[in-house]
Amino acid sequence: MSDATMTAARGNPALDLLRRYGIWVIAAAVMIVLPKIFTSGAALTTMCLMGIMIVFSLAYNMLLGQTGMLSFGHAVYYGLGGFLAVHAMNTIAAGKLAIPLPVVPLAGGAMGLIFGFIFGAVSTRRAGTVFAMISLGLGELIASLSLILRGFFGGEEGITANRTKMLTLWGVRFGPQIEVYYLIAAWCFACMIAMYAFTCTPLGRMCNAVRDNPERAEFVGYSTQMVRFITFCISGFFAGVAGGLAAINFELMNAVNISGAQSGVVLLMAYIGGIGHFVGPILGAVLVVLLQVFLSDLTGAWMLYFGLIFITMVMFAPGGMAGLIMLHLPLWRRGTLLQIVPSYAVMLVPVLMGLAGLVTLIETSHHQLVKAATDGPAMKLFGIAYNSNSLLPWIVALALMGGGLYLGKLWGPRMADAYSDAAHGQDSNKREAGK
Amino acid sequence: MTALGLHDVHKSFGITPIIRGVSLEVGKGERHAIIGPNGAGKSTLFHLISGRFPLTEGSIRLNGEDITGLKPYQINRRGLSRSFQVTNIFPKMTVFENVRCGVLWHLGYRYSFWHNTRKLKDANDRAMAILQQIGLADRAQLPASFLTYAEQRALEIGITIAGGAEVVMLDEPTAGMSRSETAHFVSLIRKVTEGRTLVMVEHDMGVVFDLADRISVLVYGQIIASDTPANIRNSKAVQEAYLGQALESHGEAEH
Amino acid sequence: MLELVIFSTLNGVLYGMLLFLLASGLTLIFSMMGVLNFAHASFYMLGAYFGFQLSQWLDFWVALFVAPVCVGLVGAAVERWGLRTVHKWGHVPELLFTFGLAFVVEELVQMVWGKLPVDYRVPALLDFHAFELFGTTYPAFRMFMLLISVAIFLVLLMILTRSRIGLIIQAALTHPNMVAMLGHNVPKVFMMVFGFGSGLAGLAGVIAGPALVTQPSMAHVLGPILFVVVVFGGLGSLPGAFIASLLIGLIQTFAIAINYSLGDALSAIGMARPMQGVLSDLWQVTVAQVGPVVPYLMLVLILIFRPTGLMGTREN
Repeated sequence: MSDATMTAARGNPALDLLRRYGIWVIAAAVMIVLPKIFTSGAALTTMCLMGIMIVFSLAYNMLLGQTGMLSFGHAVYYGLGGFLAVHAMNTIAAGKLAIPLPVVPLAGGAMGLIFGFIFGAVSTRRAGTVFAMISLGLGELIASLSLILRGFFGGEEGITANRTKMLTLWGVRFGPQIEVYYLIAAWCFACMIAMYAFTCTPLGRMCNAVRDNPERAEFVGYSTQMVRFITFCISGFFAGVAGGLAAINFELMNAVNISGAQSGVVLLMAYIGGIGHFVGPILGAVLVVLLQVFLSDLTGAWMLYFGLIFITMVMFAPGGMAGLIMLHLPLWRRGTLLQIVPSYAVMLVPVLMGLAGLVTLIETSHHQLVKAATDGPAMKLFGIAYNSNSLLPWIVALALMGGGLYLGKLWGPRMADAYSDAAHGQDSNKREAGK
Repeated sequence: MTALGLHDVHKSFGITPIIRGVSLEVGKGERHAIIGPNGAGKSTLFHLISGRFPLTEGSIRLNGEDITGLKPYQINRRGLSRSFQVTNIFPKMTVFENVRCGVLWHLGYRYSFWHNTRKLKDANDRAMAILQQIGLADRAQLPASFLTYAEQRALEIGITIAGGAEVVMLDEPTAGMSRSETAHFVSLIRKVTEGRTLVMVEHDMGVVFDLADRISVLVYGQIIASDTPANIRNSKAVQEAYLGQALESHGEAEH
Repeated sequence: MLELVIFSTLNGVLYGMLLFLLASGLTLIFSMMGVLNFAHASFYMLGAYFGFQLSQWLDFWVALFVAPVCVGLVGAAVERWGLRTVHKWGHVPELLFTFGLAFVVEELVQMVWGKLPVDYRVPALLDFHAFELFGTTYPAFRMFMLLISVAIFLVLLMILTRSRIGLIIQAALTHPNMVAMLGHNVPKVFMMVFGFGSGLAGLAGVIAGPALVTQPSMAHVLGPILFVVVVFGGLGSLPGAFIASLLIGLIQTFAIAINYSLGDALSAIGMARPMQGVLSDLWQVTVAQVGPVVPYLMLVLILIFRPTGLMGTREN
C-alpha cells in the first residue's frame, strides 16, 4: 500500500501532494460539514458516537488486522481510559487540577497506555488462540473487579461528571453538543492520522510481517513478542483516548463500558468494516453505530440482525465491507465497473426476496413470541398489516426465502462469470508479470 | 579464524537422538556444504544453529561468541541469517517489502514508530539494490504470493542476505528447480555470498561440488567426514555411506 | 465449620464435574478440529432450555435423553452448514464464527423463552432430601447430578482407553494433524466430533438447569470460565481439563461460602483497616465477592508461570 504510493510519487509534485493528502483533506471537510447538513440533535449525538467508535475500532484493528492478535478484552483500555477521564473531569471541576477539557482524552490515553503496558506484558507472551483467551480472561477480570471496586468504578450506576464545569478555553464551555462534536471530530481526525502514520513506520510494517509469518520475522532480527507488546501498548493508548472522548460525550462511565459486551462490539465493528484495510474499521464503526441507532428503533430483534450480519460476513465476506469494495478496485481501474452492474441488478432480486423472507420470519416470530401476549397478534410489516398467529405470513416468509435461495443459486455462477469477465484484464496482467 | 563453531552438539526428540555429537568448524569466508542421506539430520542441524530448536547438549559459537540457547532473533542480530527449505516469505506483502523487512533491524530502525519507511532512503535503496542482485527489481511492487516458485526461492535468498549477515545459511536453495534454473541459482548464490561465510544443505551434488570449498558428510546424526571436495569425492568411507549412491542417482538424473 | 467444608466440597466437586462435562467436549473439539468453540456454553444453555421445554411437554426423564440428542444434532448442523464454510478462511474466522453464533443463540433464546429465568423444576421423583447433616439438608437432585456426571466421566474414560475410537481420539490429541492421515472421511469425523461435544454440553445443561437458574445469560456467564478451565488445564489435555475443572469448581464454591474480607483479617490480628484511597474498597471486599474473579486471576497467574497450562504441551 505504502510503496505503491512511493512509486507513484515520481510524477508532478503538486499532483503527488494531492494524491497523498487529498483524502485527508476530504475527510476533514466531511467532518466539518456534516453537522451543517444533519443538524438534528439525534444526528449530532449519533455522529459523536461514530467519532468515538472510529478511534476505538481503529485502535482495535492495530491488533487484529495489522498484527493478527484477536482480543476479546479491548474494552478494558477503553473503559479504564474513560473512568480516569471522568475522575479527571471531577478533579478539575473541584478546582484541584488546572487542565482544559480538550486535553482530558490524553489522560484517558495515558491510562490505556499504562494498563496496556501491564496487561500487554502478560498477554503478548503468547500469540494466536491463547492470546485471545488471555485477553478474554483479563477482560472478565477487570469487568468483575469494576463491580467490586466501587470507589473507582462507582458500581452499577457508574460515575458521572459535568463537562461544563471546566476551565474555559477561548470562551468555549462545551455545553452544547455541537461544541463537543467538534472536539471529538478534531481528536478523531488527529488519531486517524496518527494511526495511519503508524502503519508506515518500521514497527507498523513489521506488525504485518509478524501477522503473516511470525517465524520468518524472528529470523530477520525481530522479536515477535516485542513487536506485539509495543503495538499492544500503542493500541491501548488510542483505546484509552476513545474512552476519554466517551467520558466527555456522555459525562458518565459505568460497568457496561468496560464489559465483555463492549469488547464484542468493537470486534464486530472492525470485522464488519474489514480488518484487512485501514479504512475498514472506519466503515465498520459508522455502519454499526447507524445500525445500533436506527435498527434498534425499527425492531426489537435488532441484536439478532446484528449477530446474523456478523456471521454472514465471517462466512462469505471475510474481508468485510472494505474487502468487498477493494474487490472492485481493479474493475474501476480498467473502467469495466459499469459492465457488471446489470448482473448485480439481477442478483438484487433474489437477495431482496431472501431478505424480505428472513425479515418477515424474524419479525413475525418476534411479534408472536414477545409482543403478542401484551399487544395482541395484530402487527404491521413493510406497511402490510396482518396477524402473527395466522399461518399465511409464515408460508409467505418461507416461500420468499426458499425462492430467493433458489434463484440466487441459479444466478450466482453467472454473476461470478460476469465479474471475472470484467476483471479479466487483471488475470492476464498477472500472467504477463509471471513470465 | 572460525566464523561458526559447533562443539559436540546433541539433539534428541523425546528419547530419539537425531543429532549425536556433531563438532564442526567453518572458517571465515568459507563456503561449506553439508550433505548426507535423507533423515540424516541436516535440517535439524540448521534449526539448532539458527536457534529454532534448543540443543540437548553441546555448544555453538558464532565469531567466537557463545550463541547456545539464544533466540532466533538474537542470533540473527549477531550476524547469522538463514533461509528455509520450504519457502518462508511474507506472502501478502510486496516483494520489495519482503526484502525491506530483512533490512530494517540491521540499519538500526528496530522497533521505531517515529520513522516513515517511505522516507528511509538507506533502507529503501538497500532493498532495491538487493532486488536488483536477485533479479526481481521489476517485480518489486507485486505481492510476494504472485511470484513463480523459482522467483520465490530467489526472494527467500534475498530476505536472508538483506540484513548483511556475515554467516549465511541456505537450506536446499535449489530444491525443486529445473536444471537451467539451478545453474542460474548457483551463480546467484556465488554472487550474493561474495565475502561472506556460506553454510548450505544441498542434495544436488552438481551444485555442491561447484560451490563448496569444504564439504561435511552427515550420516545418522554424526559427521563422518569433513574435507575438501576432492578428498570427499575420493573418500572410501563417504563412498560407502552415502556418496556412491548419491552420485549415481545424480548421474542418472542427468541422462 | 465441618459442615461448611463437607457441603462446599460436595458442591464444589459437583460444579467441577459439570464443568468437566463441558470442558471435555471443548477440548475434544479443539484438539481434533483446531477450533476453540466460543459457542460451547451456548449449547449448554440450549440443553437447559430444550430440557425445560421437553419436560413441560412430556417428562423430565424423556428430556434427559432426547434434549442432548437434539442439541447434538443442532451442533452437527452448525458444523455442516456453518463452520465448514468458514474452515477455509483459517482459525481466527472460525473462532469469530462461533463468537457470532453465541451472540445469535442468546438472542434467539431470549426471543423464544423470554429474558426472565424459566421455571425449570426438579422432577418430582427426585424432589426430596438425600440426607441431613448437622441440621442442613442436601437435595437428592444434586446427588443425581453428581451421579450422572461421574457416570458420563467413567463412560468417557472407558471409551478413551478401551475402544478403537478412543485410541484414534487419543492419537489425535497428541498429533493433531494425524486424523487427516487415517483415511477417514475427515469432514464427517469433524461433524460427529462437533455434534458429540455439543451433545455433552447439552446433557450438562439438562441436568444443571433445574439446580442452577435457566436464563439467557447462563451461557455468557459460564463461557469465559470454561475457557479458563481448558487454558488452565493446558489446551488439548483431557487430564488437565479434569484437574482444572475440579480445582475451579472447588475454589469457586469455597470462596462463596467464606464471608470474610481482608479488612476483617487485619482487624483479627489487631490492625486498623485502611479506610481511604482509591483501593480502600479492596479491604472491604469479602472473599465471597471475589469468588467470580478468582478463576481469571488463576488464568493470568498460570500463564505467567507456566505458559502451557497445567498439563499442556502445545505452545499455541
